[in-house]
Amino acid sequence: MSRALTDNINSFNVSNNIFLPAADDESKILAWLSPLEPQVRHQDICERRVDGVGDWLLETKEFRSWYSGDGDGESDHAVLFCYGDPGVGKSYIRYNTVREERTRVIIADSR
Amino acid sequence: MLTVGDGSSVVVDYLCDQALEQDMAVACFYYDFASREAQSPTNVLGSLLKQLLPGSGAIPPEIGQRFWGHRGVIGGRKLQLPDIVKMFATASSFRRTFICVDALDECIPKHLLEVLDTLCQILRRSPNTRMFMTGRPHILGAVERKLGGRTTSVLIKPKEDDMTTYLRARLGNDTTPEVMNSGLENDIMNSIHDEVSETYVEVGVRQPFISHVN
Repeated sequence: MSRALTDNINSFNVSNNIFLPAADDESKILAWLSPLEPQVRHQDICERRVDGVGDWLLETKEFRSWYSGDGDGESDHAVLFCYGDPGVGKSYIRYNTVREERTRVIIADSR
Repeated sequence: MLTVGDGSSVVVDYLCDQALEQDMAVACFYYDFASREAQSPTNVLGSLLKQLLPGSGAIPPEIGQRFWGHRGVIGGRKLQLPDIVKMFATASSFRRTFICVDALDECIPKHLLEVLDTLCQILRRSPNTRMFMTGRPHILGAVERKLGGRTTSVLIKPKEDDMTTYLRARLGNDTTPEVMNSGLENDIMNSIHDEVSETYVEVGVRQPFISHVN
């Protein structure tokens, strides 16, 4: 155990090789590791997701093999990289364009 | 429809569900072009590491030790990538660990290779770890160069069922339903379907590279 840790041992309770730091020290350690909080972005993406869309990906043999970790050592494909173009481009613009054109027609008809 | 980003959320949701029933950890990070300056390699990988720490304020001793060690150097030294690699090995030694990184292409180019190199080192030292990543096609070369021997690459393109489900859900949540009618809905469905249908591909899978991780 390093001297630095020994000096601060009053901040910790030691149990089963786990340190239980005082709340203030825990927040310092977490802030030292990173100031970023990706949970906010994760929540935003989950809220926009449509149920059922993309579930097929979970059934592919590539995903199943990656998840279960069938390989061994260096031959184990521990990384699954999904690549493709962003899906919020022309289709979304097209949706808005069609919708706006039809909206204008409907409003004009009602006058 | 399924975008690469949606693929990420499908997988993250699945892993989180599994983590409720099994002893496994899930950490994810979403690159964002607008926040790229703050998303340095140390901040991003430190954020992933932070999510792996057990709850209830319990912190593995090696990590507490490193923190207090750094506090004693030059008034508090910043976290370094080699430290993160070592602490990952500690944090992931207890259970299966899944790391998800979304939109790698939005990482600053000069940081991307550094991040991939570090992820490669984490893989070597943390055998319980599996990684799921997404990004646009132009970074495929960098990913395969750095992680090739350990990587399966999957091309994601829209599927017809996904597109229909997605559009119906979006139309169902229209905030101005007074200007919507069945004719307009059909126009929207058909026009988008026609435009995207040319690109339908089930899923293209590249053969894993023969070379091993450097």
